[in-house]
Amino acid sequence: MKKVVIEHLARVEGHGGITVELDGKKVGKVHFDVFEGARLLESLVRGKRYDEISPILSRICSICSVAHSLTSLKASENAFGVKVSPQTELLRELLYQGENIQSHALHLFLLAVPDYLDLPSAIALAASKPDAVLLGLRLKKLGNTIQETIGGRAVHPVNAVPGGFGTVPTVDQLIDLRKALIEAVKDCDTVIDLMASLPPAEFCHCDTAYAALRSPNADNYYAGDEVVVASNGDRSSISGAEYKKLANEQSVLHSHAKHSSFGGKPFMVGSLARLTVNPQRLTGKLAAATERLQLKLPATNPMDNNKAQAVELVGDIERALEIIEQLLHDGLKDERPLKIQVRAGTGTAITEAPRGLLIHSYTYDAEGRITAADVITPTALNAANMELHFRRVVEQCAEREDKVIVKRLEMTARAYDPCISCSVHLVRKQQRQ
Amino acid sequence: MSKPTVGIFGLTGCAGDQLVILNCEDQLLELVSVIDIRDFLMASSGNDEVCPLDVAIVEGAVVSNKDREKLCAIRKRAKLLVALGTCAVWGGVAAMDRGLDRQKLLEEVYGEAGLSYDSVPTQALHEVVKVDLNITGCPIEKDQFLAAIGNLLNGNPPIYPDYPVCTECRMLENNCLLIERGELCCGPVTAAGCKARCPNLRVACVGCRGPVSDANQSSLLAAFEEKGFDRNAIAARLRTFAPNGGAQ
Repeated sequence: MKKVVIEHLARVEGHGGITVELDGKKVGKVHFDVFEGARLLESLVRGKRYDEISPILSRICSICSVAHSLTSLKASENAFGVKVSPQTELLRELLYQGENIQSHALHLFLLAVPDYLDLPSAIALAASKPDAVLLGLRLKKLGNTIQETIGGRAVHPVNAVPGGFGTVPTVDQLIDLRKALIEAVKDCDTVIDLMASLPPAEFCHCDTAYAALRSPNADNYYAGDEVVVASNGDRSSISGAEYKKLANEQSVLHSHAKHSSFGGKPFMVGSLARLTVNPQRLTGKLAAATERLQLKLPATNPMDNNKAQAVELVGDIERALEIIEQLLHDGLKDERPLKIQVRAGTGTAITEAPRGLLIHSYTYDAEGRITAADVITPTALNAANMELHFRRVVEQCAEREDKVIVKRLEMTARAYDPCISCSVHLVRKQQRQ
Repeated sequence: MSKPTVGIFGLTGCAGDQLVILNCEDQLLELVSVIDIRDFLMASSGNDEVCPLDVAIVEGAVVSNKDREKLCAIRKRAKLLVALGTCAVWGGVAAMDRGLDRQKLLEEVYGEAGLSYDSVPTQALHEVVKVDLNITGCPIEKDQFLAAIGNLLNGNPPIYPDYPVCTECRMLENNCLLIERGELCCGPVTAAGCKARCPNLRVACVGCRGPVSDANQSSLLAAFEEKGFDRNAIAARLRTFAPNGGAQ
């Protein structure tokens, strides 16, 4: 019996590791260890007023701080029966696209691509392929510029508040963003070419269930309240209020980690899941990118999530441009946030964060103070499926030297783009012995 | 001159300050050409985890014994230790009510299993080890981080504004959210350096940069009370990002 231990998973957000037990070819325990410290934010927000919640809970995670912030606002607004203006909806979606562009560019170019070329970091990549790193940085900056312009800051947005925005951007600011996006459209082909040029990474194949919001229209991540789980050709639908069906935490014997499953099966969330659940998105440039990357849906290889992120980058840039065109066409109104009438009740919001489904559910008292907060994050939803894929990966290479096993496990973990600061908000932290 | 060796580390937090470093898209390649980053787990898998460092940059707060051990080990390796971001400097959101019974909170969030977790009341870095430089902010401001690196390379101590967000806001000629709109704005007692990001967008300051050194808390308390807020709500707001609103 031997153990393969990855003590500190590098090039991911937060602190996590992987432990695998091997007995010859037989794979024993497989753990995705989460040892991020517990900050207990869900308890600490109790008693806070509704307008204090999103600035506190956005701090769960920096890379998805827009998603946390906007999902939080939406959950509170749902609890109070507030419906924001169509302009606010569009600006919020634009902010989401900005975060997705930043997050995917960061993940693909700075964290994931170096693996394919056997390099330790983007810094090393810059020495051999400076163009790839500069391309990634350009797109990252574009995403951040959108977040700064609409959200007031690239990390932990400040401008999105209950009922709308503190200050609506100016027409000139939107025109500047449009210019930057049009420039970025030229980069999209290069992104796909680069991803297509990477050596293949096929460490395991298995049928996977995928869960994502079904887009009611076009590519809008922010709208919609229906989660679809696609598995082996079946599609099951869950409404926002029934979110616990999806996050029915199962205590598993081998660890303290509680895992999510749907109908007894783990599932995957994120870019690959979004494209699988919403194939209608794959037209025009997105269809071409999918074909060029030889991405077949539903995918059986978890590494394909990297390809799906690249396809989404193309789609996000296209969609951000559409939103700006629409805002300019409709005429920007200098709206102030809606006045909030508080009332006792519960509100739930589900959105698509860059890494997949994100759920915030709050209960308020009649004074608008929070009495209970539940936050379920994409990495927590993915945890059970990650362990399943780790197992399949090791089964395929159990007799190879540790170096190979470690590398394949790390690449598979990174393909999920895990956000471990987020994950502790559901996964029960596993103590390392 | 050889390049200074640098390590960038995260204890418990959201990794937002390390993300701000990676968000220096226009300066990143130059940055790595003037400093020698030896250990940066979030960005690299080829790290030297034991080498001595000229500068250790540490984000996040101490919320476990493991964090404390890690921080002590980093301190031993480093000539200079920089606390990066509000969690490292003040404790941050995880420290807001650190007087509460931690075992009870752990059980609430994680069930019975939580009782066995390695968890200690949240501490800022200076409560555990000697800190040589504080760069506050939730997250830090890019320009202040880059200025700090530039200053350190030149052997100068970086100097940060020692006045409140209120001053920056006034210089931008904004209407006052507290006086004119009766909002719970923490600008008068919060350390400047963000160019009044929030009030400049007509959003009340939440105090995310922690308190300014000569904060006149009692005068602000009186102003808030005059606007009809109760003491508990005010106290809770002021300690969101720093325990006791920074009062030691």
